[in-house]
Amino acid sequence: MKKTIPLTLIFIAGLLGVISFVIPHPSYQVYDEWIRNDLLRVLSAFAVVLALGSLLRVHFDKIKRKRKNWQFSWLLLIAFGGSAVVGLFGGVAADGVLPTAVGSFQFDIQTLYENIVIPLASSMFALLAFFMASAAYRAFRVRSMEATLLLVAAFIVMVGVLPMGYSISKHLPGFVQWILNVPNVAGQRGIVFGIALGVVATSLKIILGIERAWLGGGE
Amino acid sequence: MKLYERLMTIDRRIIYGILLGVVTLPLIFPSVVKVTPMSPVEKLFTAVDNTTNDKALILDCSYSPQIKAEVEPMAIAVLRHAFKTRKKILVLSLYVEMIGLATRAINQVVEEFNSNAQTYEDSLIYGRDYVFLGWQPPPIVPMLGMGESISNIYVVDYYGNQTDTLQMMERIRNYNDISILVALSGSRIPISWVAYAQNRYGLAVGVGCTAVSGADFYPYYQTGQFTGLMVGMKGAAEYEELVEANYGVKGRRVASEAMLSLTYAHLAIILFIVIGNIGFFLHRRRK
Repeated sequence: MKKTIPLTLIFIAGLLGVISFVIPHPSYQVYDEWIRNDLLRVLSAFAVVLALGSLLRVHFDKIKRKRKNWQFSWLLLIAFGGSAVVGLFGGVAADGVLPTAVGSFQFDIQTLYENIVIPLASSMFALLAFFMASAAYRAFRVRSMEATLLLVAAFIVMVGVLPMGYSISKHLPGFVQWILNVPNVAGQRGIVFGIALGVVATSLKIILGIERAWLGGGE
Repeated sequence: MKLYERLMTIDRRIIYGILLGVVTLPLIFPSVVKVTPMSPVEKLFTAVDNTTNDKALILDCSYSPQIKAEVEPMAIAVLRHAFKTRKKILVLSLYVEMIGLATRAINQVVEEFNSNAQTYEDSLIYGRDYVFLGWQPPPIVPMLGMGESISNIYVVDYYGNQTDTLQMMERIRNYNDISILVALSGSRIPISWVAYAQNRYGLAVGVGCTAVSGADFYPYYQTGQFTGLMVGMKGAAEYEELVEANYGVKGRRVASEAMLSLTYAHLAIILFIVIGNIGFFLHRRRK
């Protein structure tokens, strides 16, 4: 029963999703709209509650059992509680029930987002440039014909996309566009076809109950 | 240590230091670098430009803080273009963590225009000139649902107003009233817009994406599924250039200012790769 019900549900849901693209008849489309616009949104709301509950449970459990790096779970819980309090009382943009400010610093979600989330996330991503430069220097060696081709194409694109590309030759930016539009697209299209076939196969396996890893419970 | 060994094993701290210098110095002393717009960006600009008075354009700001530096200038450039030419705009985000960035971009550009406005007609008025729809999960719901009715999917806007009571929304009902959707994202969201909204409702989709994901999107641009394409900081700078050259919109051009940093960073990386390969050749000749 624990497996049969979810498998039946996924079969019906999967089938309904596919049928909506195959049967354009208005009588079915009304039903399809109800599934997407009402049912799916209600399910999403449940998913948010479940996700929050799961997040809290995992980190409380980590602290209780003193698992590796359990101290960081405190940070997460404090940040979680802090932003919830700010959001509940300060609102999204100083429109909450109890808007509070210290000087020009407004306690609301937008201020937290702009002053904490954006700088932290941007800084983490900016570090990639340094790792990429170091990795390119160490790994990009002309060891074979294929590596040479890759290196030459990379140099042309790297220089061609820069403003100075036009100064070197007025044909260079156009040539870069050709590389992106023709050889790149040829390779990409093959990859996209492969991925699409893989997605269809995996989706069919899930709908038909052959692939059951999503049910959990396994090793 | 032999010369080839030195060339092949430069300390990573030296690489990091040089890269830090070439990236930050042009940002500390910024100057706008003129770029020549390429055809993918020109096509997007033309598509936005051709939006008629009876239609609106949708700006999907689904970019996260990680890629803000690359994609936010695109949002600002498209908003400046649309507001300057008095196009009606609907702004939305498909994920909640991106709402804050969309708010920033709208507030900045509306502030720029309204600070120079002389009359009520000149000003940008919420509900008359633009609407911020906010966020509606999961993404497939707005993608497909807006094809039937926008105000049924976004019953209230981001600020809690009933969407169908807003002046602009009297004429904008579904995708039939949308000229183009510009999806700004670093993920595969633009492809989902094509798969759902374009295939079923024929919605025109333009894209602004990071340089890393640009190569993935060219097949869709080549087939015409993407009307136009802005790739990375350079794409944003090209759009800024088109907006200023065609409409004289003045404002800080963040992407164009970053072009020098980008140029020096690319040249530094190329230089390091060349040095590494010289060392590699010398080493191979000795063997």
